[in-house]
Amino acid sequence: MKTVRVLYHLARADLIERIRRYSFLVMLGLVLWLGYLAATGEFRLTIGVDYAGVVDSAWVGATMAMTTNCVLGLVGFYIVTGSVARDYITGVGQIMATTPMSGRLYLVGKWLSNYAVLGITVVVLAMAGIMMQLWFGQGRLDMVAMVSPLVHLSLPWLGLIAAVAVLFESVTWLRGGLGNAVYAVLFLILFPASYLPLVGWTRDFRVNPFVDPAGMLIIGDSVSRSASAVYPVEAGFSFGILGFSEFQLFPYLGIRWTAGILASRLLLLLLAVALVMLAGRWFDRFNPARLVPTRRKGAAAEPVPAPAVEPIPLSSVRLTPLAGASARFRFGALLVGEFKLFLKGQRWWWYAVAAGLMAAQLVSQYDALPHLLIVAWVWPTLILSGLGCRENRLNTRQIVFSAPRPLSQLLAGWLPAALVIALLGSGAWARFLLTGDLVAVLGWLIAIVFIPSLALALGTLTGSGKAFEALYVLWMYLLTQGSTPAIDFAGLIPGSRFVVYAPAAAGLVAVATLARWRQLRAG
Amino acid sequence: MELEIDRVGKQYRGGFWGLREFTLDLHPGVLGLLGPNGAGKSTLMRILATITRPTEGKVAWNDTDIAQKPDDLRQVLGYLPQDFGVYPNLTGKEFLEYMAAIKGMDGKTARRRIEELLVVVNLVDAAKRPLGGYSGGMKQRVGIAQALLNDPQLLIVDEPTVGLDPAERVRFRNLLSDLAGARIIILSTHIVSDVEATATEIVIINKGRQVERATPDRLLALLQGQVWQWVVPEEQLPGLKQRHIVSGTVRRSDGIQVRVVSQTAPAAEAHPVAASLEDAYLVLVSEGGGER
Repeated sequence: MKTVRVLYHLARADLIERIRRYSFLVMLGLVLWLGYLAATGEFRLTIGVDYAGVVDSAWVGATMAMTTNCVLGLVGFYIVTGSVARDYITGVGQIMATTPMSGRLYLVGKWLSNYAVLGITVVVLAMAGIMMQLWFGQGRLDMVAMVSPLVHLSLPWLGLIAAVAVLFESVTWLRGGLGNAVYAVLFLILFPASYLPLVGWTRDFRVNPFVDPAGMLIIGDSVSRSASAVYPVEAGFSFGILGFSEFQLFPYLGIRWTAGILASRLLLLLLAVALVMLAGRWFDRFNPARLVPTRRKGAAAEPVPAPAVEPIPLSSVRLTPLAGASARFRFGALLVGEFKLFLKGQRWWWYAVAAGLMAAQLVSQYDALPHLLIVAWVWPTLILSGLGCRENRLNTRQIVFSAPRPLSQLLAGWLPAALVIALLGSGAWARFLLTGDLVAVLGWLIAIVFIPSLALALGTLTGSGKAFEALYVLWMYLLTQGSTPAIDFAGLIPGSRFVVYAPAAAGLVAVATLARWRQLRAG
Repeated sequence: MELEIDRVGKQYRGGFWGLREFTLDLHPGVLGLLGPNGAGKSTLMRILATITRPTEGKVAWNDTDIAQKPDDLRQVLGYLPQDFGVYPNLTGKEFLEYMAAIKGMDGKTARRRIEELLVVVNLVDAAKRPLGGYSGGMKQRVGIAQALLNDPQLLIVDEPTVGLDPAERVRFRNLLSDLAGARIIILSTHIVSDVEATATEIVIINKGRQVERATPDRLLALLQGQVWQWVVPEEQLPGLKQRHIVSGTVRRSDGIQVRVVSQTAPAAEAHPVAASLEDAYLVLVSEGGGER
């Protein structure tokens, strides 16, 4: 009973702390937008390229579950991760470490809190789906058909994501930037691989739910089976913002919830709990001595006491008055400072990979340049996500905001980011120039302006880097798929109208400036 | 050089007033701002540092409203917040260089000033180490250095000696005394001895309002002949605390030596002693004055 009470309060306090943040509202906004795309059929689930289901409750439910599992599978990790790190930063963790609460119990509490955050997004998505089905949908509302895929497929999957986030936060070297990058790589490889068996789907295909944690095979198979019942088609599904085309519609029969499927979901939840227990094996229980085992020379992992040297007597030191020294706006000096802030703290391998990506652009096949550019521009995601919110994250707001012209500091932070993006894509830029591909050069230029502008706006608005990290990684992932020209800001997809992102970048900088101005006025 | 605070108030969400009807006129010297936790000291500091805008009233720096033209004050302001962070990957020196750039100092002046400040705050040996490895006291000293970078005309320091060891505290007090004279220094703390050592004037604030403004001598004079000391048996202490303001106790072999503020002798054995600022502070922030 006592354990349950501890868990309840641990998870509750953590959840309240998170949902009272502005970034949580931004996340709910993103979820509502996804719900809108799913319910209105803009997020298209098709069989082959010609067949789609009638937009009724079962179809919207399946589309929403697929959207949730795909988007929150990746973005959800970034939404919930950082909870243990916050306890490190605020020092609350060290207080907790002195209580009788075990490390594993603490991690279970964090898992429950993570799960609750993701669960809330599913509930909001379901409610949005119901509302939108009432407004836009065809046929009567069938609540069970709509909500079942979310309950049976999305909730267990998100439980696993919540546990993976706890696991990553418990392993010292996976906590923070490297862990975020590792997760993105793992997800982008494993998630598409999970529904690879649907390629070449036939009526003889049988789903093994125990090897389908994201439920993509279960949904995909049900959709293919519904299409083949009406039309002579045997194919797997396509999924994304595919634009409005004339589809041949078929009634979607829904998913038959077998005991095997339900048992596999239960097993998924047990796997999540097991992962959390396993995480306890590596959790350092806020012991700073175990924080970072190996660091570069000179960068101490924990506070190092001042050397025991005889202090110079103050009587021998006098500060020279700066009479007449004027405080003018010195953009150059500010820029140098922002550059240092932007790049310092990166390990040698960060620079090695960056150099490798630049070199690869110079020697690769020309057709491979778009993909190489995307990878090169994703590489600094974790540094870019500090734009506009670094002062908040590191509690330097009061010092920075009380300096003259605080708005100029915000804009000076944008330029190093743009220069780094340009540098990381410089190999491709040289190739575009050499081949006289001026459209590609223009797209490249717009990208180096748009990317830091997006980071700056989201960082300033939310006070956190998570919104940018989540949105940007997802955005770049969709860009690699090449099937959504509307999101192409760099001219990487033929026929895209990327030039609209130039005024969009200016708009984002204006939004960031306005948001900072409001922060300054509000105090 | 003048800072005018005219009937300033700050109301927070939920209707709570953190500061109310606060008026003060400041000229060069060290103003010690004393008050209990939650009295409104940090709210006032943040308003004066242009971080927070007052809900009512006006603050003027040399006749310019700082809410309308905050940059006029920011050019000459040095501010050490009570709770602040640093950039962990920058070294102490790089952080000061960055702050100097933000404050608009030219490179040569900034470099010279930083060298001096590193000596003054005793961080020369640690200057090239990342801030992430600094102890709390070292970070506090970096904070003090950044506040002094631009040789500010208005220096606002909020709980500056928190985390400093006794030697560094004395060093900082001496520094403040050295700096006084040509600038306005506002020192907010609840460590009375810090104020006693440096302040030319003291303001006591409680529940968002100004309770007293006086020189240290004047405050001490208020309690002339009202502070008493004697030894009582341990069991009498709780009753004594209920009747009087007990400003100090020292355990001795024959009982507890108590220090009490009272207009009349609280006991036959009590003998008058010289008042301290701590006695005055306790009387002024307690609701019933010397007697309870």
